[in-house]
Amino acid sequence: MTEHPRLGLVIGSGSVKCAASLGLWKVLEREGIQLDMVVGCSGGSMYATGIAFGDDVAYIEQNTLSLWTEDLMAGYTSNLRAAMTGEVRFTERSGLVDAEAATARIASVYGERRFDQTKIPLSIVATDFMTGEPAVLSQGRVMDAIRASIAIPMIFPPYEVDGRLLTDGAVSNPLPVDVAIMEGCNIILAMGFELPYRSRMRSFNAVQSHLNAVYINNILRATYAFYNLAHHAEIIPILPVFEKEIGNFDTAQLPYIIAQGEAEAEAQIPYLKKLMGL
Amino acid sequence: MSAKKVALVIGSGSVKCAAALGLMKVFEREKINVDMVVGCSGGSLYAATIALGWSTQKAIDETLRLWTRDVTAARNWGAYLQLFGLRRFDERFGLVNDKLIRRRLSEAFGNTNLGNTQIPLFITATDFYSGEQEVMHGSQYSLQDALRASISIPYIFAPHKIGERYFVDGYLSDPLPVGVAIREGADVIIAIGFESPYQTRVSSILRYAFEISSITSNNLLQSNYAFHNLAHHSEIIPIMPEFEHRIHLFDTDKIPYVIDAGERATEEQLTYIRKLLES
Repeated sequence: MTEHPRLGLVIGSGSVKCAASLGLWKVLEREGIQLDMVVGCSGGSMYATGIAFGDDVAYIEQNTLSLWTEDLMAGYTSNLRAAMTGEVRFTERSGLVDAEAATARIASVYGERRFDQTKIPLSIVATDFMTGEPAVLSQGRVMDAIRASIAIPMIFPPYEVDGRLLTDGAVSNPLPVDVAIMEGCNIILAMGFELPYRSRMRSFNAVQSHLNAVYINNILRATYAFYNLAHHAEIIPILPVFEKEIGNFDTAQLPYIIAQGEAEAEAQIPYLKKLMGL
Repeated sequence: MSAKKVALVIGSGSVKCAAALGLMKVFEREKINVDMVVGCSGGSLYAATIALGWSTQKAIDETLRLWTRDVTAARNWGAYLQLFGLRRFDERFGLVNDKLIRRRLSEAFGNTNLGNTQIPLFITATDFYSGEQEVMHGSQYSLQDALRASISIPYIFAPHKIGERYFVDGYLSDPLPVGVAIREGADVIIAIGFESPYQTRVSSILRYAFEISSITSNNLLQSNYAFHNLAHHSEIIPIMPEFEHRIHLFDTDKIPYVIDAGERATEEQLTYIRKLLES
Protein backbone atom coordinates (compact mmCIF):
# COMPACT_ATOMS: atom_id res chain seq x y z
CA MET A 1 0.00 0.00 0.00
CA THR A 2 1.36 3.36 -0.93
CA GLU A 3 0.34 6.18 1.28
CA HIS A 4 -2.22 8.65 -0.03
CA PRO A 5 -0.35 11.80 -1.11
CA ARG A 6 -1.18 14.98 0.80
CA LEU A 7 -2.87 17.53 -1.47
CA GLY A 8 -2.84 21.24 -0.66
CA LEU A 9 -4.55 24.17 -2.34
CA VAL A 10 -2.95 27.60 -2.17
CA ILE A 11 -5.00 30.61 -3.28
CA GLY A 12 -2.86 33.69 -3.84
CA SER A 13 -3.77 37.36 -3.70
CA GLY A 14 -5.79 38.82 -6.55
CA SER A 15 -8.88 40.52 -5.16
CA VAL A 16 -12.08 39.40 -6.88
CA LYS A 17 -10.15 37.19 -9.33
CA CYS A 18 -9.48 34.80 -6.44
CA ALA A 19 -13.06 33.58 -6.98
CA ALA A 20 -11.56 31.47 -9.78
CA SER A 21 -10.64 29.08 -6.96
CA LEU A 22 -14.35 28.26 -6.68
CA GLY A 23 -14.24 26.96 -10.26
CA LEU A 24 -11.25 24.84 -9.37
CA TRP A 25 -12.99 23.54 -6.26
CA LYS A 26 -16.08 22.57 -8.29
CA VAL A 27 -13.86 20.45 -10.54
CA LEU A 28 -12.18 18.76 -7.57
CA GLU A 29 -15.58 17.95 -6.01
CA ARG A 30 -16.87 16.55 -9.29
CA GLU A 31 -13.79 14.35 -9.62
CA GLY A 32 -14.01 13.25 -6.00
CA ILE A 33 -10.55 14.61 -5.19
CA GLN A 34 -10.15 15.58 -1.52
CA LEU A 35 -8.01 18.41 -0.28
CA ASP A 36 -5.89 17.96 2.83
CA MET A 37 -5.37 21.65 3.47
CA VAL A 38 -6.18 25.12 2.11
CA VAL A 39 -4.01 28.23 2.31
CA GLY A 40 -5.24 31.70 1.39
CA CYS A 41 -3.62 35.08 1.04
CA SER A 42 -5.36 38.46 0.77
CA GLY A 43 -8.43 38.10 -1.50
CA GLY A 44 -7.68 34.37 -1.60
CA SER A 45 -8.29 34.11 2.16
CA MET A 46 -12.05 34.58 1.71
CA TYR A 47 -12.33 31.69 -0.75
CA ALA A 48 -9.91 29.50 1.19
CA THR A 49 -12.20 29.96 4.20
CA GLY A 50 -15.35 29.03 2.25
CA ILE A 51 -13.66 25.92 0.87
CA ALA A 52 -12.24 24.92 4.27
CA PHE A 53 -15.72 25.14 5.84
CA GLY A 54 -17.30 23.27 2.94
CA ASP A 55 -19.68 26.15 2.12
CA ASP A 56 -21.85 26.12 -0.98
CA VAL A 57 -20.31 27.79 -4.03
CA ALA A 58 -23.49 29.87 -4.40
CA TYR A 59 -23.25 30.94 -0.75
CA ILE A 60 -19.59 31.99 -1.11
CA GLU A 61 -20.49 33.93 -4.26
CA GLN A 62 -23.27 35.68 -2.37
CA ASN A 63 -20.82 36.58 0.41
CA THR A 64 -18.49 38.18 -2.12
CA LEU A 65 -21.33 40.23 -3.56
CA SER A 66 -22.33 41.61 -0.19
CA LEU A 67 -18.79 42.08 1.13
CA TRP A 68 -16.84 43.42 -1.76
CA THR A 69 -18.48 46.61 -2.97
CA GLU A 70 -16.95 49.82 -4.21
CA ASP A 71 -18.44 51.90 -1.38
CA LEU A 72 -15.70 50.43 0.85
CA MET A 73 -13.51 53.10 -0.77
CA ALA A 74 -15.69 55.96 0.53
CA GLY A 75 -13.70 58.88 1.91
CA TYR A 76 -10.50 57.99 0.03
CA THR A 77 -10.01 61.35 -1.73
CA SER A 78 -10.71 63.59 1.23
CA ASN A 79 -8.63 61.40 3.56
CA LEU A 80 -5.73 61.46 1.09
CA ARG A 81 -5.74 65.26 1.00
CA ALA A 82 -5.93 65.50 4.77
CA ALA A 83 -3.04 63.04 5.12
CA MET A 84 -0.91 64.84 2.52
CA THR A 85 -1.37 68.28 4.08
CA GLY A 86 -0.71 66.85 7.53
CA GLU A 87 -4.16 68.00 8.66
CA VAL A 88 -4.70 64.48 9.93
CA ARG A 89 -1.86 62.52 11.48
CA PHE A 90 -1.28 59.29 9.56
CA THR A 91 0.03 56.50 11.77
CA GLU A 92 0.73 52.78 11.48
CA ARG A 93 -2.93 52.23 12.37
CA SER A 94 -4.28 54.54 9.67
CA GLY A 95 -5.77 53.88 6.28
CA LEU A 96 -7.24 56.07 3.58
CA VAL A 97 -10.66 54.55 4.03
CA ASP A 98 -12.72 53.97 7.12
CA ALA A 99 -12.34 50.25 7.79
CA GLU A 100 -15.17 49.96 10.31
CA ALA A 101 -17.61 49.14 7.52
CA ALA A 102 -15.34 46.46 6.04
CA THR A 103 -14.64 44.93 9.45
CA ALA A 104 -18.35 44.88 10.31
CA ARG A 105 -19.21 43.18 7.01
CA ILE A 106 -16.52 40.55 7.46
CA ALA A 107 -17.87 39.95 10.96
CA SER A 108 -21.41 39.58 9.66
CA VAL A 109 -20.31 37.01 7.06
CA TYR A 110 -17.88 34.93 9.15
CA GLY A 111 -19.22 35.63 12.63
CA GLU A 112 -17.58 33.54 15.31
CA ARG A 113 -16.24 30.87 12.98
CA ARG A 114 -12.92 29.58 14.24
CA PHE A 115 -10.00 27.84 12.58
CA ASP A 116 -10.50 24.69 14.68
CA GLN A 117 -14.03 24.25 13.28
CA THR A 118 -13.06 23.84 9.61
CA LYS A 119 -13.57 20.59 7.70
CA ILE A 120 -10.16 20.94 6.06
CA PRO A 121 -7.20 22.60 7.87
CA LEU A 122 -6.95 26.28 6.91
CA SER A 123 -4.08 28.76 7.06
CA ILE A 124 -4.28 32.45 6.19
CA VAL A 125 -1.25 34.57 5.42
CA ALA A 126 -0.86 38.22 6.40
CA THR A 127 2.24 40.40 6.87
CA ASP A 128 3.62 41.77 10.13
CA PHE A 129 3.54 45.52 9.55
CA MET A 130 6.43 46.31 11.88
CA THR A 131 8.85 43.53 10.87
CA GLY A 132 7.79 42.85 7.28
CA GLU A 133 7.73 39.09 7.88
CA PRO A 134 4.88 36.90 6.64
CA ALA A 135 2.50 35.91 9.45
CA VAL A 136 0.72 32.56 9.12
CA LEU A 137 -2.58 32.47 11.01
CA SER A 138 -4.25 29.16 11.82
CA GLN A 139 -6.03 29.64 15.11
CA GLY A 140 -8.61 31.88 16.67
CA ARG A 141 -11.38 33.69 14.83
CA VAL A 142 -11.22 33.38 11.05
CA MET A 143 -12.66 36.88 10.55
CA ASP A 144 -9.66 38.45 12.27
CA ALA A 145 -7.29 36.63 9.95
CA ILE A 146 -9.26 37.61 6.85
CA ARG A 147 -9.50 41.25 7.91
CA ALA A 148 -5.70 41.33 8.43
CA SER A 149 -4.89 39.48 5.22
CA ILE A 150 -6.93 41.79 2.97
CA ALA A 151 -5.63 45.06 4.49
CA ILE A 152 -4.55 46.60 1.16
CA PRO A 153 -1.57 48.84 2.03
CA MET A 154 -2.42 52.46 2.72
CA ILE A 155 -6.11 51.87 1.86
CA PHE A 156 -7.31 49.64 4.72
CA PRO A 157 -5.65 50.16 8.11
CA PRO A 158 -3.50 47.29 9.40
CA TYR A 159 -5.34 45.11 11.93
CA GLU A 160 -4.17 43.81 15.27
CA VAL A 161 -4.29 40.07 15.90
CA ASP A 162 -2.81 38.63 19.13
CA GLY A 163 -0.80 41.76 19.78
CA ARG A 164 0.70 41.96 16.29
CA LEU A 165 -0.20 44.65 13.82
CA LEU A 166 -0.85 42.89 10.50
CA THR A 167 -1.30 44.07 6.93
CA ASP A 168 -1.99 42.54 3.50
CA GLY A 169 -0.36 39.14 2.99
CA ALA A 170 0.40 40.11 -0.61
CA VAL A 171 3.25 42.43 0.36
CA SER A 172 5.36 39.60 1.77
CA ASN A 173 4.10 36.35 0.27
CA PRO A 174 1.45 36.75 -2.46
CA LEU A 175 1.29 33.03 -3.31
CA PRO A 176 2.28 31.27 -0.08
CA VAL A 177 3.21 27.85 -1.45
CA ASP A 178 5.76 27.54 1.37
CA VAL A 179 2.99 27.19 3.96
CA ALA A 180 1.68 24.06 2.20
CA ILE A 181 5.26 22.77 1.90
CA MET A 182 5.85 23.21 5.63
CA GLU A 183 2.56 21.46 6.37
CA GLY A 184 3.86 18.42 4.54
CA CYS A 185 1.89 18.54 1.29
CA ASN A 186 3.37 16.42 -1.53
CA ILE A 187 1.17 17.88 -4.24
CA ILE A 188 0.30 21.54 -4.22
CA LEU A 189 -2.25 23.28 -6.43
CA ALA A 190 -1.01 26.86 -6.58
CA MET A 191 -3.57 29.30 -7.93
CA GLY A 192 -1.94 32.66 -8.41
CA PHE A 193 -2.74 35.93 -10.09
CA GLU A 194 -0.54 38.69 -11.38
CA LEU A 195 -1.96 42.04 -10.40
CA PRO A 196 -3.04 44.26 -13.28
CA TYR A 197 -0.96 47.24 -14.32
CA ARG A 198 -2.44 50.59 -15.20
CA SER A 199 -1.82 52.12 -18.57
CA ARG A 200 -2.69 55.65 -17.43
CA MET A 201 -1.90 57.38 -14.20
CA ARG A 202 -4.96 59.54 -13.71
CA SER A 203 -4.83 59.77 -9.92
CA PHE A 204 -2.63 59.15 -6.90
CA ASN A 205 -4.62 55.97 -6.34
CA ALA A 206 -3.66 54.80 -9.84
CA VAL A 207 0.06 55.43 -9.18
CA GLN A 208 -0.11 53.80 -5.77
CA SER A 209 -1.98 50.69 -6.89
CA HIS A 210 0.28 50.41 -9.94
CA LEU A 211 3.45 50.56 -7.82
CA ASN A 212 2.00 48.00 -5.41
CA ALA A 213 1.26 45.73 -8.35
CA VAL A 214 4.87 46.07 -9.59
CA TYR A 215 6.29 45.08 -6.20
CA ILE A 216 3.83 42.30 -5.56
CA ASN A 217 4.18 40.74 -9.03
CA ASN A 218 7.96 40.77 -8.68
CA ILE A 219 7.71 39.14 -5.25
CA LEU A 220 5.24 36.61 -6.66
CA ARG A 221 7.63 35.57 -9.41
CA ALA A 222 10.67 35.45 -7.15
CA THR A 223 9.01 33.46 -4.37
CA TYR A 224 7.37 31.08 -6.82
CA ALA A 225 10.67 30.46 -8.62
CA PHE A 226 12.32 29.73 -5.29
CA TYR A 227 9.61 27.43 -3.89
CA ASN A 228 9.45 25.56 -7.16
CA LEU A 229 13.18 24.96 -7.20
CA ALA A 230 13.57 24.19 -3.51
CA HIS A 231 10.63 21.86 -3.10
CA HIS A 232 10.90 18.20 -3.93
CA ALA A 233 7.18 17.60 -4.17
CA GLU A 234 5.00 18.67 -7.06
CA ILE A 235 3.69 22.18 -7.45
CA ILE A 236 1.02 22.55 -10.10
CA PRO A 237 0.54 26.17 -11.06
CA ILE A 238 -2.99 27.12 -12.02
CA LEU A 239 -2.94 30.60 -13.47
CA PRO A 240 -6.32 31.53 -14.89
CA VAL A 241 -6.23 33.80 -17.90
CA PHE A 242 -8.80 36.56 -18.18
CA GLU A 243 -9.41 38.10 -21.54
CA LYS A 244 -11.49 40.89 -20.07
CA GLU A 245 -10.10 43.48 -17.73
CA ILE A 246 -11.36 42.80 -14.21
CA GLY A 247 -11.41 45.71 -11.77
CA ASN A 248 -10.84 45.26 -8.04
CA PHE A 249 -14.56 45.48 -7.28
CA ASP A 250 -15.86 43.94 -10.49
CA THR A 251 -18.08 41.38 -8.77
CA ALA A 252 -20.45 41.42 -11.75
CA GLN A 253 -17.82 39.26 -13.46
CA LEU A 254 -17.96 36.52 -10.81
CA PRO A 255 -19.63 33.92 -13.07
CA TYR A 256 -17.01 34.54 -15.77
CA ILE A 257 -14.14 34.41 -13.24
CA ILE A 258 -15.40 31.13 -11.76
CA ALA A 259 -15.82 29.64 -15.26
CA GLN A 260 -12.22 30.56 -16.15
CA GLY A 261 -10.99 28.92 -12.95
CA GLU A 262 -12.99 25.82 -13.81
CA ALA A 263 -11.56 25.63 -17.34
CA GLU A 264 -8.01 26.14 -16.10
CA ALA A 265 -8.46 23.42 -13.44
CA GLU A 266 -9.96 20.93 -15.90
CA ALA A 267 -6.85 21.21 -18.05
CA GLN A 268 -4.74 20.08 -15.07
CA ILE A 269 -6.96 17.21 -13.93
CA PRO A 270 -5.37 14.38 -15.96
CA TYR A 271 -1.93 15.31 -14.63
CA LEU A 272 -3.20 15.71 -11.08
CA LYS A 273 -4.94 12.31 -11.21
CA LYS A 274 -1.77 10.68 -12.46
CA LEU A 275 0.20 12.19 -9.59
CA MET A 276 -2.43 11.13 -7.08
CA GLY A 277 -2.41 7.58 -8.44
CA LEU A 278 -6.13 7.81 -9.32
CA MET B 1 45.98 36.06 -11.21
CA SER B 2 42.73 34.20 -11.34
CA ALA B 3 41.14 33.27 -14.65
CA LYS B 4 37.75 33.43 -13.03
CA LYS B 5 35.40 36.20 -13.96
CA VAL B 6 34.55 38.22 -10.88
CA ALA B 7 31.42 40.37 -10.60
CA LEU B 8 30.65 42.90 -7.91
CA VAL B 9 26.92 43.48 -7.36
CA ILE B 10 25.93 46.45 -5.20
CA GLY B 11 22.31 46.41 -4.07
CA SER B 12 20.02 49.25 -3.07
CA GLY B 13 20.57 50.86 0.31
CA SER B 14 21.17 54.60 -0.13
CA VAL B 15 24.17 55.84 1.89
CA LYS B 16 24.92 52.32 3.14
CA CYS B 17 25.98 51.41 -0.40
CA ALA B 18 29.22 53.29 0.31
CA ALA B 19 30.25 50.08 2.08
CA ALA B 20 31.22 48.94 -1.44
CA LEU B 21 34.12 51.42 -1.23
CA GLY B 22 35.37 49.60 1.86
CA LEU B 23 35.19 46.39 -0.11
CA MET B 24 37.24 47.93 -2.92
CA LYS B 25 39.89 49.07 -0.44
CA VAL B 26 40.35 45.44 0.56
CA PHE B 27 40.31 44.24 -3.06
CA GLU B 28 42.92 46.82 -4.12
CA ARG B 29 45.17 45.88 -1.24
CA GLU B 30 44.76 42.19 -2.02
CA LYS B 31 45.05 42.75 -5.79
CA ILE B 32 41.71 41.15 -6.56
CA ASN B 33 40.38 42.28 -9.91
CA VAL B 34 36.75 42.92 -10.60
CA ASP B 35 35.60 42.15 -14.16
CA MET B 36 32.16 43.72 -14.03
CA VAL B 37 30.14 45.89 -11.69
CA VAL B 38 26.36 45.83 -11.30
CA GLY B 39 24.54 48.51 -9.31
CA CYS B 40 20.98 49.15 -8.24
CA SER B 41 19.52 52.35 -6.79
CA GLY B 42 21.99 53.85 -4.26
CA GLY B 43 24.38 51.07 -5.24
CA SER B 44 24.47 52.33 -8.83
CA LEU B 45 26.30 55.44 -7.68
CA TYR B 46 29.20 53.49 -6.18
CA ALA B 47 29.09 50.95 -8.99
CA ALA B 48 29.73 53.92 -11.30
CA THR B 49 32.65 55.34 -9.31
CA ILE B 50 34.25 51.88 -9.14
CA ALA B 51 33.68 51.18 -12.85
CA LEU B 52 35.17 54.55 -13.75
CA GLY B 53 38.28 53.63 -11.79
CA TRP B 54 37.99 56.49 -9.34
CA SER B 55 40.06 56.23 -6.18
CA THR B 56 38.21 55.64 -2.93
CA GLN B 57 39.06 59.16 -1.84
CA LYS B 58 37.70 60.66 -5.05
CA ALA B 59 34.55 58.56 -4.75
CA ILE B 60 34.03 59.77 -1.18
CA ASP B 61 34.64 63.40 -2.12
CA GLU B 62 32.37 63.30 -5.14
CA THR B 63 29.51 61.45 -3.46
CA LEU B 64 29.65 63.81 -0.48
CA ARG B 65 29.29 66.71 -2.88
CA LEU B 66 26.49 64.99 -4.79
CA TRP B 67 24.41 63.46 -2.04
CA THR B 68 23.39 66.22 0.34
CA ARG B 69 20.20 66.87 2.22
CA ASP B 70 19.22 69.74 -0.08
CA VAL B 71 18.70 67.43 -3.10
CA THR B 72 15.28 66.61 -1.64
CA ALA B 73 14.63 69.98 -0.03
CA ALA B 74 12.83 71.66 -2.93
CA ARG B 75 9.23 70.58 -3.32
CA ASN B 76 7.75 69.83 -6.68
CA TRP B 77 4.70 72.05 -6.41
CA GLY B 78 3.27 70.52 -9.57
CA ALA B 79 2.81 67.25 -7.68
CA TYR B 80 0.83 69.02 -4.97
CA LEU B 81 -1.38 70.60 -7.64
CA GLN B 82 -1.88 67.10 -9.05
CA LEU B 83 -2.86 65.78 -5.61
CA PHE B 84 -5.42 68.53 -5.18
CA GLY B 85 -6.90 67.97 -8.60
CA LEU B 86 -5.68 71.31 -9.91
CA ARG B 87 -3.40 69.79 -12.51
CA ARG B 88 -3.89 66.71 -14.64
CA PHE B 89 -2.47 63.65 -12.91
CA ASP B 90 0.09 61.61 -14.84
CA GLU B 91 3.07 59.29 -14.40
CA ARG B 92 5.44 62.17 -13.66
CA PHE B 93 4.19 62.42 -10.09
CA GLY B 94 7.01 62.98 -7.57
CA LEU B 95 6.93 65.14 -4.45
CA VAL B 96 10.49 66.43 -4.79
CA ASN B 97 11.84 68.74 -7.47
CA ASP B 98 14.64 66.77 -9.14
CA LYS B 99 16.50 69.67 -10.78
CA LEU B 100 19.28 69.76 -8.20
CA ILE B 101 20.00 66.03 -8.20
CA ARG B 102 20.08 66.07 -11.99
CA ARG B 103 22.51 68.97 -11.99
CA ARG B 104 24.71 67.23 -9.41
CA LEU B 105 24.76 64.00 -11.44
CA SER B 106 25.64 66.00 -14.51
CA GLU B 107 28.50 67.81 -12.71
CA ALA B 108 29.88 64.55 -11.36
CA PHE B 109 29.57 62.34 -14.44
CA GLY B 110 29.30 64.70 -17.41
CA ASN B 111 28.78 63.01 -20.74
CA THR B 112 30.15 59.62 -19.77
CA ASN B 113 28.10 56.79 -21.21
CA LEU B 114 27.68 53.21 -20.08
CA GLY B 115 29.93 51.97 -22.87
CA ASN B 116 33.16 53.69 -21.90
CA THR B 117 33.89 52.77 -18.31
CA GLN B 118 37.15 51.06 -17.29
CA ILE B 119 35.27 48.07 -15.93
CA PRO B 120 32.02 47.01 -17.67
CA LEU B 121 29.13 48.62 -15.78
CA PHE B 122 25.50 47.50 -15.58
CA ILE B 123 22.87 49.66 -13.90
CA THR B 124 19.39 48.36 -13.13
CA ALA B 125 16.17 50.30 -13.03
CA THR B 126 12.53 49.20 -13.32
CA ASP B 127 10.30 49.93 -16.30
CA PHE B 128 7.51 51.96 -14.73
CA TYR B 129 4.72 50.57 -16.91
CA SER B 130 5.72 46.92 -17.32
CA GLY B 131 7.31 46.48 -13.87
CA GLU B 132 10.20 44.58 -15.46
CA GLN B 133 13.85 45.02 -14.59
CA GLU B 134 15.80 47.06 -17.14
CA VAL B 135 19.52 46.42 -17.35
CA MET B 136 21.30 49.48 -18.71
CA HIS B 137 24.63 48.84 -20.36
CA GLY B 138 26.42 50.11 -23.44
CA SER B 139 27.02 53.41 -25.15
CA GLN B 140 23.35 54.14 -25.85
CA TYR B 141 22.81 55.00 -22.16
CA SER B 142 24.21 58.17 -20.65
CA LEU B 143 25.53 57.43 -17.16
CA GLN B 144 23.75 60.36 -15.54
CA ASP B 145 20.42 59.27 -17.04
CA ALA B 146 20.89 55.68 -15.92
CA LEU B 147 21.76 56.82 -12.38
CA ARG B 148 18.81 59.21 -12.22
CA ALA B 149 16.51 56.37 -13.36
CA SER B 150 17.95 53.85 -10.90
CA ILE B 151 17.42 56.14 -7.88
CA SER B 152 13.82 57.18 -8.67
CA ILE B 153 12.47 56.48 -5.18
CA PRO B 154 8.70 56.06 -5.63
CA TYR B 155 6.62 59.09 -4.64
CA ILE B 156 9.77 61.15 -3.97
CA PHE B 157 11.42 61.45 -7.38
CA ALA B 158 9.29 61.23 -10.49
CA PRO B 159 9.99 58.28 -12.78
CA HIS B 160 12.75 59.23 -15.23
CA LYS B 161 12.06 59.30 -18.93
CA ILE B 162 14.68 57.83 -21.29
CA GLY B 163 13.58 57.75 -24.90
CA GLU B 164 9.89 56.94 -24.80
CA ARG B 165 9.97 54.95 -21.58
CA TYR B 166 9.68 55.84 -17.92
CA PHE B 167 11.87 54.20 -15.29
CA VAL B 168 11.56 53.93 -11.52
CA ASP B 169 13.96 52.74 -8.87
CA GLY B 170 15.74 49.46 -9.58
CA TYR B 171 14.76 48.05 -6.20
CA LEU B 172 11.14 47.63 -7.28
CA SER B 173 12.16 44.75 -9.53
CA ASP B 174 15.21 43.39 -7.68
CA PRO B 175 17.04 45.14 -4.83
CA LEU B 176 20.18 42.98 -5.25
CA PRO B 177 20.44 42.16 -8.98
CA VAL B 178 22.64 39.08 -8.79
CA GLY B 179 20.79 37.70 -11.82
CA VAL B 180 22.49 40.24 -14.08
CA ALA B 181 25.95 38.97 -13.12
CA ILE B 182 24.81 35.37 -13.64
CA ARG B 183 23.54 36.15 -17.14
CA GLU B 184 26.76 37.98 -17.96
CA GLY B 185 28.70 34.83 -17.19
CA ALA B 186 30.36 35.69 -13.88
CA ASP B 187 32.05 32.75 -12.12
CA VAL B 188 32.34 34.40 -8.74
CA ILE B 189 29.77 36.95 -7.63
CA ILE B 190 30.42 39.23 -4.69
CA ALA B 191 26.99 40.51 -3.66
CA ILE B 192 26.87 43.41 -1.27
CA GLY B 193 23.29 43.93 -0.12
CA PHE B 194 21.32 45.76 2.51
CA GLU B 195 17.99 45.20 4.16
CA SER B 196 15.87 48.28 4.14
CA PRO B 197 15.23 49.57 7.68
CA TYR B 198 11.75 49.53 9.17
CA GLN B 199 10.13 52.57 10.72
CA THR B 200 9.95 52.46 14.50
CA ARG B 201 6.77 54.49 14.34
CA VAL B 202 4.74 55.93 11.53
CA SER B 203 3.74 59.56 11.78
CA SER B 204 2.88 60.52 8.20
CA ILE B 205 1.57 59.00 5.01
CA LEU B 206 5.02 59.25 3.45
CA ARG B 207 6.59 57.27 6.29
CA TYR B 208 3.79 54.77 5.86
CA ALA B 209 4.68 54.47 2.17
CA PHE B 210 8.36 54.00 3.16
CA GLU B 211 7.37 51.23 5.58
CA ILE B 212 5.49 49.40 2.81
CA SER B 213 8.49 49.91 0.49
CA SER B 214 10.80 48.39 3.11
CA ILE B 215 8.52 45.39 3.59
CA THR B 216 8.19 44.69 -0.11
CA SER B 217 11.81 45.34 -1.00
CA ASN B 218 13.13 43.16 1.84
CA ASN B 219 10.83 40.31 0.86
CA LEU B 220 11.88 40.72 -2.75
CA LEU B 221 15.55 40.79 -1.74
CA GLN B 222 15.22 37.61 0.30
CA SER B 223 13.23 35.64 -2.26
CA ASN B 224 15.33 36.68 -5.25
CA TYR B 225 18.54 36.00 -3.39
CA ALA B 226 17.29 32.60 -2.20
CA PHE B 227 16.35 31.69 -5.76
CA HIS B 228 19.59 32.81 -7.39
CA ASN B 229 21.64 31.17 -4.69
CA LEU B 230 19.88 27.88 -5.27
CA ALA B 231 19.72 28.07 -9.05
CA HIS B 232 23.22 29.30 -9.73
CA HIS B 233 25.99 26.81 -10.15
CA SER B 234 28.84 29.19 -9.60
CA GLU B 235 29.54 30.95 -6.37
CA ILE B 236 27.72 33.86 -4.82
CA ILE B 237 29.40 35.38 -1.80
CA PRO B 238 27.06 37.60 0.19
CA ILE B 239 28.55 40.54 2.00
CA MET B 240 26.00 42.07 4.32
CA PRO B 241 27.68 44.72 6.46
CA GLU B 242 26.21 45.22 9.88
CA PHE B 243 25.60 48.68 11.19
CA GLU B 244 25.15 49.33 14.87
CA HIS B 245 23.65 52.73 14.22
CA ARG B 246 20.69 53.37 12.05
CA ILE B 247 21.81 55.05 8.82
CA HIS B 248 19.29 57.40 7.28
CA LEU B 249 18.88 58.42 3.66
CA PHE B 250 21.12 61.47 3.93
CA ASP B 251 23.52 60.51 6.70
CA THR B 252 26.50 61.21 4.47
CA ASP B 253 28.48 62.22 7.55
CA LYS B 254 28.43 58.51 8.42
CA ILE B 255 30.10 57.50 5.14
CA PRO B 256 33.53 56.89 6.76
CA TYR B 257 31.86 54.61 9.31
CA VAL B 258 29.91 52.85 6.53
CA ILE B 259 33.12 52.29 4.54
CA ASP B 260 34.81 50.79 7.61
CA ALA B 261 31.87 48.42 8.07
CA GLY B 262 32.16 47.37 4.42
CA GLU B 263 35.89 46.81 4.84
CA ARG B 264 35.38 44.65 7.93
CA ALA B 265 32.57 42.61 6.31
CA THR B 266 34.81 41.98 3.28
CA GLU B 267 37.80 40.99 5.39
CA GLU B 268 35.66 38.37 7.11
CA GLN B 269 35.01 36.74 3.72
CA LEU B 270 38.51 37.20 2.36
CA THR B 271 39.88 33.73 3.05
CA TYR B 272 36.87 32.22 1.34
CA ILE B 273 37.07 34.59 -1.65
CA ARG B 274 40.81 33.80 -2.07
CA LYS B 275 40.14 30.10 -1.94
CA LEU B 276 37.47 30.38 -4.63
CA LEU B 277 39.66 32.47 -6.91
CA GLU B 278 42.61 30.15 -6.60
CA SER B 279 40.71 26.88 -6.93
